[in-house]
Amino acid sequence: MSQSSSSDQSGTCVLQQEDFKPGARTQMEWGFGGRRRWRDGALLMALFLGGIGAGQFVVSTWLIDSVTSAFVGLLVVGVGKTVAHLIYLGQPKRFYRLFLRPKTSWISRGLIFMVVFVAFGAAYLAPDLGFDWVPWETGSTFSDALLVGAILSASLVMVYDGFVLASCKSITAWNTALMPPLFFTYAVAGGTAMTYLTLIAMGSNIPNEDTLTTIDSVLLISMFALLVIYVLNMKTSTATARESLRRLTTTKVAVAFIGVAIIAGLLVPLSLTLYHEVATTETIASVLLALSSILELAGDLSVRHSILRAGLHAPVFSEGL
Amino acid sequence: MVRWGMVIDLKRCTGCHSCTVACKVEHHTPPGVFWAKVVRIESGKYPTVIRQAVPLLCMHCREPECEKVCPTGATKKQPDGRVTVDSEECVGCRYCAVACPYGARCFTSDWKDYFTGDTKPSSPYAEYSKRKWLEESDKGVVSKCDFCEERVAQGKQPACVNACPCEARTFGDLDDSESEVSQLIKKRRGMQLHPEYGTDACVYYLPAR
Ligand code: SF4
Ligand code: SF4
Repeated sequence: MSQSSSSDQSGTCVLQQEDFKPGARTQMEWGFGGRRRWRDGALLMALFLGGIGAGQFVVSTWLIDSVTSAFVGLLVVGVGKTVAHLIYLGQPKRFYRLFLRPKTSWISRGLIFMVVFVAFGAAYLAPDLGFDWVPWETGSTFSDALLVGAILSASLVMVYDGFVLASCKSITAWNTALMPPLFFTYAVAGGTAMTYLTLIAMGSNIPNEDTLTTIDSVLLISMFALLVIYVLNMKTSTATARESLRRLTTTKVAVAFIGVAIIAGLLVPLSLTLYHEVATTETIASVLLALSSILELAGDLSVRHSILRAGLHAPVFSEGL
Repeated sequence: MVRWGMVIDLKRCTGCHSCTVACKVEHHTPPGVFWAKVVRIESGKYPTVIRQAVPLLCMHCREPECEKVCPTGATKKQPDGRVTVDSEECVGCRYCAVACPYGARCFTSDWKDYFTGDTKPSSPYAEYSKRKWLEESDKGVVSKCDFCEERVAQGKQPACVNACPCEARTFGDLDDSESEVSQLIKKRRGMQLHPEYGTDACVYYLPAR
């Protein structure tokens, strides 16, 4: 059952029809249906920050070797995602209990990945952040092992949200094998955008810029392809999936999905990234890159928002009742 | 060992909502929280279409999705087949509510008065109701039907079964092949909702025709 009532302007409870509706029901438990609207939005922020923060750490350490940018990524996950989760929980004081069931629950698994990532990431960056009393140095075998651990756990942080959603059997728009790769690709692209923005804000040169822009363009194209497959998959699936698709394309959610996620978040950045290569001055190139990164991040947030909003439970009634 | 289950006869249910109200009175659930609901559906094909009422509650699944996804272990399968939520262990993440295919779970951020919509009770009854609710569940956690644990422990029927004027609900031991529930399922082709999810529900429906 969904959180079934909300307060109207006068503060009295009004029944939302979802509970007594025979057809597909909107999932309202994870965002935007509850009485605590702003707190419910925290879950979306947790998904978003976890993806882009872990992505930024991986891109910054693996591809461009920027300690500051990697540290920002670590903070986005360690502080941003953690706080967003705590705001969302009904009983935040009991948060430690979330780690207890990794055998069957993707939330437990994801949070364990997150703690491992923050621990490995912090330990790897420690010597470069001025904690020179630690008994290892950057570049040592131990430090390399820490980096491998951090990158692996960061990748799991990027992908686990997809598994959380895909595990919900009655929500056909989520219960698809496309969810994990979609979330992973968006996290890497969001991480690349965050890395660009951090370096531009610091006024530093972007090392390996050509490689990064090529990777970014490939990611944007892959994301577009994944979204097209996702939409086609829904179109040919159950009636509930088709209803989810209708929501994504013809209701208010379409503004976020088509307007922000696809046009502003994918197609415009793709053209800006291509145009950036022929920009005449470095300032223009930086402005274009910054603009494209901001749009990509907006698209990342919107795609997660749209997927949550498109979540519809299949009708409770089986054929033949 | 007993395995509690319920059989709902769709031929008898008139959709009077007595079960919904009885459940609310028994468990003092605040506004917006429905452990027992009745939904009206249309079924069949023209020209033999009927409109019928279908009571819904937690199916106390043998393979519950809610228990599988719960990260804290607050959702538990009891030895007697009931699926319960320990409100002292629940963190209010709502994964179970999203994963349950039957819409059986409710999240309550805070207790609210029925008439004022406020967290302060407006009458002595509301005050009693709030105290009882906070004793049984809590704020910031998820709740659901527990097959009236206390009543059943005293040898009574669950409140919804007791209140049903049409005797559409039968409660009993599914593991006892001679029990009324087992016999009804056998003789009248009792069916589970969405068997394809593999939840193996302990609430069975007898077809309306
Ligand atoms: S009906 Fe839903 S809440 Fe009840 S046991 Fe089954 S999965 Fe859990
Ligand atoms: S809301 Fe409570 S019972 Fe439900 S999955 Fe989370 S911790 Fe478990």
